[in-house]
Amino acid sequence: MPDNPPMTAPSPDAELMALIDRIGHRDEAALRQLYDRTAPKLMGLAMRVVRQREWAEDVLQEAFLTVWRVAGDYRASLSPPLAWLGLIVRSRALDLLRRRTADRAQLTQEFDELMADTLESDAPNPADTADASEQAWALHQCLSQLESKQREVVSLAYLREMSHGELAEQLKLPLGTVKTWIRRGLEKLRICMGRFA
Amino acid sequence: MKLTAHPELLELLAASHALGTLRGGARRRFEALAREQAPVRAAALVWQSRLASMTELQSPIVPDAAVWTRIRNIIDAEKAQHAIERQRDDANARAAAATPQPQGGWLRSLALWRGATAAGALATVLAVVVGLNLRDQLVNAPAVQYVAVLSDDQAAASMLVTFDPKKKQLVLQRVGSYSEGSDKSLQLWALAPGGAPRSLGVLDNAPALRLAASESDVHQVPTLAVTLEAKGGVPPGSGPKGPVVFKGALIEKTI
Repeated sequence: MPDNPPMTAPSPDAELMALIDRIGHRDEAALRQLYDRTAPKLMGLAMRVVRQREWAEDVLQEAFLTVWRVAGDYRASLSPPLAWLGLIVRSRALDLLRRRTADRAQLTQEFDELMADTLESDAPNPADTADASEQAWALHQCLSQLESKQREVVSLAYLREMSHGELAEQLKLPLGTVKTWIRRGLEKLRICMGRFA
Repeated sequence: MKLTAHPELLELLAASHALGTLRGGARRRFEALAREQAPVRAAALVWQSRLASMTELQSPIVPDAAVWTRIRNIIDAEKAQHAIERQRDDANARAAAATPQPQGGWLRSLALWRGATAAGALATVLAVVVGLNLRDQLVNAPAVQYVAVLSDDQAAASMLVTFDPKKKQLVLQRVGSYSEGSDKSLQLWALAPGGAPRSLGVLDNAPALRLAASESDVHQVPTLAVTLEAKGGVPPGSGPKGPVVFKGALIEKTI
């Protein structure tokens, strides 16, 4: 899929949407199929937000139970199916982080070290576009054009719902640097995403 | 300023709003404009949708097979619960149809309440017996100076910690079913106010465990915590790296 232009990329959306519709009608086999298709992807997302395997697995469990309960509402969201699932996982993951704030406060140091590691790994864009919607593919293309540090702070700001100040504190960067990276990153995204509109 | 006359600024504000970095007064002003002006609202929604795709782009990690088992068990339990409720509702409906006088409903609920009361009484007896046993053990145990019951995040008791000043040791007893897996170790920490967590030792898999400790290790330590660490625990001198799995107050015995 990644070697095709987005307009002709084959979309797995129809298949995932059919599964979500069946789950809306209490079809457990469909839930299992959706789990098999998407759990590793969503687990990767949960890990990125909460960073601990046990927590990420709790998030995944909560997310699929949410899907089981609200699948009937999916169509009204007008979202690509994987993005809808992703938003549920992110929401459950942020809930978990809020619940663990007290524990985190005690172990701030450990948290900071992990965050620093995240930035130091000057890795290429690790995105995996399998099963992703056309829109996600466009975002992937545009994120690839950012410098890795810009991409990293933009991603962390979104996925972990962090402010400029929180990013600066936990990444041990000057506030101005974080603001500049995010502003430049968004500016590039704006121009690039405009071409896909 | 008319934001729609500045399309680039509008897009950047909408993108910052969707990213979550537009905060405080600026966020409130932008949201007020979005409510009033459809083009501003449209830009906000477009960027929310674009950035939502970030959730689709993370590298996959295969979860433990137990996750699906837990999901299925919870759904099965919910279905069983619903089936019981349906049966009870059906039975109530049938009984109400068969016995028009309201007495039937009242008697049934009395029987129900008797059942509930008996169950409650039994639970109380069990709790008292368990409590007495636990207290006997604590009271009769030789030279216990400090006690802590560490609980997990569900507030379930998971580990009993006692300090014996004569033998200069901490005795740890697992009371839950927690298993850290073969590639991890649990590590016990003293959390003193205003100081970094201090390691009291790494636990092995045994149900009961003794760690050498002096009274100064536990004196004026209000809280103990257990974290999940790599096998063998963190390097000496380092702080905890893994998540807190149990914690609880350390209490000095005065009798």
